[in-house]
Amino acid sequence: MIETGIPKLDEFLGGGIPKGKSLVYYIQPGVEGEVFGLQTIYNSLKKGDTGVFVVSSTIPDIIKGQFRDFGWDISKFKDKFFFVDAYDSLIGAPSNEKYVVPNPDNIEAFSKIIISAIKELPPSTIVFGSLSTIIDLCGEKETMQAVMTWNKMAKIYDHVLVYNFTAWPYSEESLKAIKEDMFNAVISVGGIAERVIFGQYFGILKADWTTEIKKSMLFRVLRPGGIKLYIPKILVTGPFDSGKSTFVHALSTRAISVDRLGTTIALDHGHVDYKGFSADIFGTPGQERFDPIIKLLSGESMGVFLIVDSTNPTDFIRAKQMLEITKSYGLPFVIIANKQDLPGALTPEEIREQFDLSHDVPIVPVIAKDKKGVYEAFEVLIDKITGGL
Amino acid sequence: MTDTIELLDKLIADLKKSGGVESCAAVSRDGLLIRSSMQKEQLAESFAAMSATMLGAAETASTELGKGVPNRVIVESTMGRLIAVGAGPKALLVVIVSPETGLGLILLELDKAANKLKELLE
Repeated sequence: MIETGIPKLDEFLGGGIPKGKSLVYYIQPGVEGEVFGLQTIYNSLKKGDTGVFVVSSTIPDIIKGQFRDFGWDISKFKDKFFFVDAYDSLIGAPSNEKYVVPNPDNIEAFSKIIISAIKELPPSTIVFGSLSTIIDLCGEKETMQAVMTWNKMAKIYDHVLVYNFTAWPYSEESLKAIKEDMFNAVISVGGIAERVIFGQYFGILKADWTTEIKKSMLFRVLRPGGIKLYIPKILVTGPFDSGKSTFVHALSTRAISVDRLGTTIALDHGHVDYKGFSADIFGTPGQERFDPIIKLLSGESMGVFLIVDSTNPTDFIRAKQMLEITKSYGLPFVIIANKQDLPGALTPEEIREQFDLSHDVPIVPVIAKDKKGVYEAFEVLIDKITGGL
Repeated sequence: MTDTIELLDKLIADLKKSGGVESCAAVSRDGLLIRSSMQKEQLAESFAAMSATMLGAAETASTELGKGVPNRVIVESTMGRLIAVGAGPKALLVVIVSPETGLGLILLELDKAANKLKELLE
């Protein structure tokens, strides 16, 4: 089993990609998809595996530069990481790589080199930087045949084959074959325009070694950092003086607030990078006179933290009302029982009773000013948003 | 989808080219960054959230007082100006311009761009 290193994807795949299997990243044109192959190979190198990267669309040095841009140091894997250079011969440049394809536009020459790598190397992760470029150079039918052979051989030699494939308008049959038949797993990588959020997502179309999880995740590509799961908006709301701003600041890598006379009058905005997730946090004001602003800012949230002051049960009615104002019913939400350090603070169970909440609503005890419990709360909410595996 | 993003990028790039514009961004009404000319995305995200709040608060205040929907919000400081205009029900457009820039031309360009953005998102 090798891990793809892409957050949540390994979980969705039941741990990763088993040896001998093939996987294709099926990428919509215009989406930043090439990074998937890079992140997968870097992760398996990190775990001590041997890696092979097949370069078809640019010189190997550019690919090495891309690894550096993502902050991934590949120089320490020199004796375990090899390139198959299927580009330099095209432009007549000399190559220093271990494997060089002399005629990258001839599939037989190409296949010969790939097969010798498959035979010579110990079980490795072999990543094809651009299957689409190979198809463009060698022809659709010819390339598909070769890919089938490579996949078959990989099974016997226990390699994992990973392909980046950009779904240009090739023939219907080819696209269908790639999507449905040729690989053990297909991860689709695409773009969405959901109302006005312009995002990129990935999802599993197929994975024959595990029960398929039809869940899509939004992601963004950071340099350095690589693929991070992206949650465009998490709302932090709750009654006046419950500690919303403190919570936003405690959780965020960086945050700003618009507050005057000690109370938030517009919003708190923070950004969290944690465990492969990248999320933006919007904190609302708490006082009723700011309700129009709360309504304005609460659209398109993916989840809600409802902050309550555990020492002040009279505010619980307002807290419930705020869930209504933010139209958050139906969204995943977590109740933050803040100020647990103060005398008279109710326990989460007491709050559940007072609130009259069912048992599946998570209530997390937190002391926001000491950053206690905030990351636990974040994980609980993320689990609810991503479907809690 | 890809086309819309390309068009958006062009719209932002064109607006950025107008004289005196330091940076600009398309922002959703509820404060999410759609696209910006800023290098640092994280800065741009806070900027987006704040601009949407500003315009939203101004629009609420003005309509509550019976003065209708304001045409724009202009924030002036010695270092420059920040201008936010609505671009339909879904989005707004914000620019930061240098202090010596004349307002006339930039407001014209901004309104034009806002109209285009509105159509793009329909």
